[in-house]
Amino acid sequence: MITLQNVSKQFGSKIAVNKISFEIKTGEVVGFLGLNGAGKTTTMRMITGFLTPTNGVIQVDGHDPINEHIAVATKIGYLPENNPQYTDMKVSEYLHFIRDVKKHGSIKEIVYDVGLVDMMDKKIEQLSRGYKQRVGLAAALLGNPKILILDEPTSGLDPIEQEKIRNLIKKLAETKIIVFSTHILSEVEDVATRLIIIDKGQVVYDGDKPKEKGSIERIFKEKINFV
Amino acid sequence: MLPLVKKELGHFFNNPFGYMILIIFGLFANFLFVKDVFLVGTVSMRQFFSLIPWIGMIFIPAISMRSIAEERRLNTIEILRTLPLTEKQIIIAKFICLLIISTVGLALTIGLPVSLNIIGSSVGSNLYLPEVIVGYIGLLFYFAMGIALSIFFSEMTNSQVTAILLSSITLFALNVIGTDFVGNVLPKVIQDILVTLSPINHLDVFIKGILDIRSVFYFTSSVVVFITLTILNLEKRT
Repeated sequence: MITLQNVSKQFGSKIAVNKISFEIKTGEVVGFLGLNGAGKTTTMRMITGFLTPTNGVIQVDGHDPINEHIAVATKIGYLPENNPQYTDMKVSEYLHFIRDVKKHGSIKEIVYDVGLVDMMDKKIEQLSRGYKQRVGLAAALLGNPKILILDEPTSGLDPIEQEKIRNLIKKLAETKIIVFSTHILSEVEDVATRLIIIDKGQVVYDGDKPKEKGSIERIFKEKINFV
Repeated sequence: MLPLVKKELGHFFNNPFGYMILIIFGLFANFLFVKDVFLVGTVSMRQFFSLIPWIGMIFIPAISMRSIAEERRLNTIEILRTLPLTEKQIIIAKFICLLIISTVGLALTIGLPVSLNIIGSSVGSNLYLPEVIVGYIGLLFYFAMGIALSIFFSEMTNSQVTAILLSSITLFALNVIGTDFVGNVLPKVIQDILVTLSPINHLDVFIKGILDIRSVFYFTSSVVVFITLTILNLEKRT
C-alpha cells in the first residue's frame, strides 16, 4: 500500500507539489495524468525516495522511503522519466547488475516477458527506443517488486510498441500495485483502474476510471486549468 | 555494494579511455624516473616516489572525474539512488573501484624496482626492499586521499571538466604548500601549519621507509572526511 498525506515539495521558491494526499492499494492500476510540469514526476520520485518531501508523510508498505530506503527500494520497481541507462553496457550486463543489486529475480523469465531474448548481447546504445524502454521495464521488474512506478512508460514509442507495453502492464496488474504517468488519455482508458489528475502540484481528480468511452478526456478538460 | 564495484570496474576496463589514462600514467611515471636514474648514482626508488604525487594530481582526477558527475549528467544517479543501495554504499563502491584502478596504475611501475635491483646487484648494491614496499604503501595512501577528494568534487558538479579542474588545482595546491618553495617565504607558524596539512610531507615519511602512525592517520582521516562530506552532499541533494 502507498500512502501520501499532505505531501509537498518545494524547489527554492517554486512549489512543485502542494499538499497532496491519496492512498493506493494492492491490485490498483493508477493512471497519473497531468500537463508537463504538473508534479507527476516529482510525486513519483518522492514515492521512490529519490526526492525528499518538503512537508508531509509518505509510507510505502508501512515504510518511510527516505529513512527506510532499502526496505522501500526492495519493494519498488521504478522506470524513471526518459529512461536513463548505462548505454555502454550490454543488455545482459545491465540486467545482471540490477539483479545482483536487488539480490534476487530471474532474468530469463523477465527477458522473455518483455521480449528482449534476442537483444541480450547487444549494447544498450545500439538498441531502438522501444527496446531501450523494454530494458528499463525489465530492470524495474527484476527482484519481483510489489509496486511498479512507471514514469511515462510508452513515451516516444510507436503504436505497436505502445500496445505491447500496455499489454505487459495489464498482465502485471494482477499481482502488483502499478502507478504510471502518461499524456495519452487512451492509455489510461485502456490500462488503469483508477485515475488521478494532477494540476499545478495539486490533485484535482481522484477516482475510479469512468466506464464510458471519452469520459476521461471530458474530466481532464474540466479539471485542468489550461491558462 | 560488490555489484556496483564490478560495474564500475567493467566500465573503466571496457573503455579505451581507461586504458589510455593508465598507459599515459605508466609511460610518464616510468620515463620521468628512468631518464635521470643513472645520473643519481644510487640504487634507490626515493626519487620515483617523490615524483608520483605530481603526476598523480592529474592522473587521480582523470580517473575519478566521471564518478558522480557523469551519473548526474546522464541522470543514471536516479537509477542508483532508487535501487536498494545507500548513498554510503554508492560512494564507497566508487572509492574502492578507483583505488583498484590506481593500484593497477602503480603496478605498471613495478618493473622499475625490479630492474633497478638487477642493475644495482650487478655493481654490488642492492635495493632495500622494505623501503620500496613502504614507499608504495605511501603512494597508495596518497592516491586514496586524492581519490576521496576527487569524488568529492565530482559530486559537486555534473561536468567532468569542472570536476577534473577543481580536483587537480586542489591537489596541486596541497602538494605545493608542503614544498620549501612556498614555505620559505612564509612566517614559521604558517609554514608549520602548511607542512602538517600537505600530503607531500606525510608521503616523505613513507618514502624514507618509515611507517609513521601520524602520517597514516593524516591520510586515513583525510579519506574519511572527504568521503563523509561526499555522502552528506549526496544525501542532501534531494
